[in-house]
Amino acid sequence: MEKILRVNHIDLSFGGVQVLMDISFEMEERSIYAIIGPNGAGKTSLVNCINGFYRPQKGEIYYKGHQINKLPSHKIAKLGVGRTFQQIELYTGLTTVENLLAGRHILFKSGMAAGALYFGKARREEVEHRKAVEEIIDLLEMEHIRDEVVGNLSYGLRKRVELGRALAMEPKLLVLDEPMAGMNVEEKEDMVRFVLDIYDLKGTSILLIEHDMGVVMDISHTVVVLDFGIKIAEGTPSEIVKNPEVIKAYLGTKGTKGA
Amino acid sequence: MKADTLPRLLLENYQKYGANKVAMRRKDLGLWYEYTWKDSYESVKYFFYGLLSLGLKPQDKVAIIGENDPEWYWAEYAAQAAHAIPFGIFVDSHHEELKYYLEHSDSTFVVAHDQEQTDKCLGLIDELPKLKKIIYWDPKGLWTYDDPRIIYFYEVLKLGKEYEKTHRGLFEEMVEKTKEDDIACFCYTSGTTGLPKAAMLSHSCIVETARNWFAIDPWYPTDEYLSYLPPAWAAEQFLGITGGMLSAITVNFPERAETVQENMREIGPQIVFYSSRLWESTASLVQAKITDTIKIKRFLYNLFIPIGNKVADMRFDKEKPNLLWRGLRFLGEWVLYRPLRDKIGMRDIRYGYSSGAAISPEMIRLFHALGVNLKSLYGLSETGINVIGRDENFSPDVTGNALPNSEVKVNEDGEIIIRSKSMLKGYYKNPAAYEEKVKDGWFHTGDFGYIDEKNRLTVIDRIEDMRELKTGTKFSPQFTEIRLRFSPYIRDGLTLGGKDRDFVSAIININFENMGKWAEARHIAYTTFVDLSQKEQVYDLILQYIQRVNKVLPEGARIKKFVNLHKEFDADEAELTRSRKIRRSFVEERYANLINAIYSDMDQIVVDAPVTYRDGRTGVIKTAVSIKKVPEV
Repeated sequence: MEKILRVNHIDLSFGGVQVLMDISFEMEERSIYAIIGPNGAGKTSLVNCINGFYRPQKGEIYYKGHQINKLPSHKIAKLGVGRTFQQIELYTGLTTVENLLAGRHILFKSGMAAGALYFGKARREEVEHRKAVEEIIDLLEMEHIRDEVVGNLSYGLRKRVELGRALAMEPKLLVLDEPMAGMNVEEKEDMVRFVLDIYDLKGTSILLIEHDMGVVMDISHTVVVLDFGIKIAEGTPSEIVKNPEVIKAYLGTKGTKGA
Repeated sequence: MKADTLPRLLLENYQKYGANKVAMRRKDLGLWYEYTWKDSYESVKYFFYGLLSLGLKPQDKVAIIGENDPEWYWAEYAAQAAHAIPFGIFVDSHHEELKYYLEHSDSTFVVAHDQEQTDKCLGLIDELPKLKKIIYWDPKGLWTYDDPRIIYFYEVLKLGKEYEKTHRGLFEEMVEKTKEDDIACFCYTSGTTGLPKAAMLSHSCIVETARNWFAIDPWYPTDEYLSYLPPAWAAEQFLGITGGMLSAITVNFPERAETVQENMREIGPQIVFYSSRLWESTASLVQAKITDTIKIKRFLYNLFIPIGNKVADMRFDKEKPNLLWRGLRFLGEWVLYRPLRDKIGMRDIRYGYSSGAAISPEMIRLFHALGVNLKSLYGLSETGINVIGRDENFSPDVTGNALPNSEVKVNEDGEIIIRSKSMLKGYYKNPAAYEEKVKDGWFHTGDFGYIDEKNRLTVIDRIEDMRELKTGTKFSPQFTEIRLRFSPYIRDGLTLGGKDRDFVSAIININFENMGKWAEARHIAYTTFVDLSQKEQVYDLILQYIQRVNKVLPEGARIKKFVNLHKEFDADEAELTRSRKIRRSFVEERYANLINAIYSDMDQIVVDAPVTYRDGRTGVIKTAVSIKKVPEV
């Protein structure tokens, strides 16, 4: 069976700075895959390569067998790769619903003219998309902020809307860049619950960059560890936590208890 | 024969209205979905058959734990039709509380709202041998569960449809056989003292309550009502579940607990029942938003509220307002009162009811000024609703007159005792408690009050909460506290004093949101609740307010010292009951050191308070709390 994602020996550098060196891993369909590593390890850069924002100097990336590392990012999105960003990328002047509807953009079939004139077919399509958006609002418990302008929302709620926006395009592979950063315990628990609900309900494959070890241990099937642009370990959460290289990278050379 | 049980009333409404009238509405995915009486009837019928097919027997208990949804109501009606006994459990009950309810009631079925409630029940099911099945109605998150002990509400309906094929007519037959003396439901009392007791209410109890109520304040089938009160609380049993069935109004269910305000605005119900706390926080919200809004709106508010107050006072004093005042009020209606009412969802309100604890007269006056006919109710889970403020002799200082078929008296100790046709039949498995409360057919409420010459009852406080100082002065903490809470900056106040104390003092919980806004407007920086509560300026503000309240209190009852507590009282830490009443003896014991410091010469004390965090961890907070004297003004 074709892996949903295959990263093959990629190198990435900016001028003299080597950001990623010979990174390879494979991700099974319907799995939760975590990328961890200290700050500056190259995690976001790796994920930016997958989405087509950066072009690796060497190596290939395959999504469901298609080579995608030479494609423009909007084409990669159309293939079904969704993404959330560490710095939230929402339209702060629009409401939650409007942001989610914007996220459905690639799924809209009617053209601009049909949309402007809003005849039967365009109208029906709009209703369908609105229904899909409402289902996401229901899943992520955002009814009370449905019509709220995103710019007025708290950080935790904005992150939720960001997740909704990524979901709106019905991705097969969802890339989440630190979805729980900056949240308190309760918000984190809610976010994890949403991620698991998405996984259970839609069978989406999830690639997760995360710092909270508790979350990583609890929900990932496989973990890949980066440090200074090199992959230093890969395995199940329980293997990783005992791996001496990982411990050294995170905590220096003094020992530690496993999670 | 007059229909006098809920299932028979359902049958009657179905025969009368069928698919021609909307019985319930629910908001889902942003749209309001309608259920006609036919839809409701069929859901109840198939759930009834489904429950029977799963093994429900007459007299079985069915626990229902969840937020307000049509399925909650349908589950209750279906259980009653099967001659079983439903009862509600508060959704924020934790492990021990839930175990107690399910065990004590001998429940065989639990109808749980969603994943959260289902998970809680699954965690207990091994300790509850009588429990047969957990039925959930919101499947979110439960898709991958394969436990055979849980089943989806709509699966049960399917089972019901099958079961009907071999048991045709059984539903109608069993509904016809329900009698007014059958126990319709249990109501667990709020347990400010000891473990909750299960009051057993028959159909006649609850239907009588509704009938007597409508004799004074009629409800019409065209009325709209928003069901958001926890159905585990008796109030919703009397209002939406029974009153709604008897009067055939449309019951609307909000989308989520967080969207209730928004849904209130969308529906604009005629009948609104808020606990006194909620009326207080609505008034607080209005006052806070006015301070935040544009100049002209503030100007109009400050101009027209006094006019509204004056007209309201005139009406209370039975003085007919003359043409000038009527004209001003008419102007105010269109410029301020109506738009403001619209904002809080009360544009078309006909009755506003308050209950749960006393409400301050200023609060009542404010709402009447805005055109909300706010009146108090008094009653208990055990006796029904017994007292309602009457339009013809309304006064904000009294509670009201007895309803038809309720007798209300005050005995020599000043205790309010009630005898009514809607009294409980007993406490489940606790006849001793019944003997204690009901003597000679009169239920002893434990509340202190008095009846005036117009036969109007005024409820002052719980008898056990009336306090006496060393000087012999008697005072009612609640009387003072409701007046304290009228300030938008005070969320809660606990007045202290006893036989070993010379004066009254108070522990104040500031209202964090409103106080925060006040501080920000004055460029006072603060970080947490602890920090804000201890600021000099905040103490000064609260001091001024306490001095105002002191003015209306008798000399001996005035507050001489106070502290701003470094944290809010919390139900999760058992400082409050689930209906947000302060558990005095518990709190006084917990803060004993602080209280001793207040009555000493100290002007500051370092406090060590144990707290329970949301994720279950415990910790200790250490902070210095200031103690301030309240000088005479």
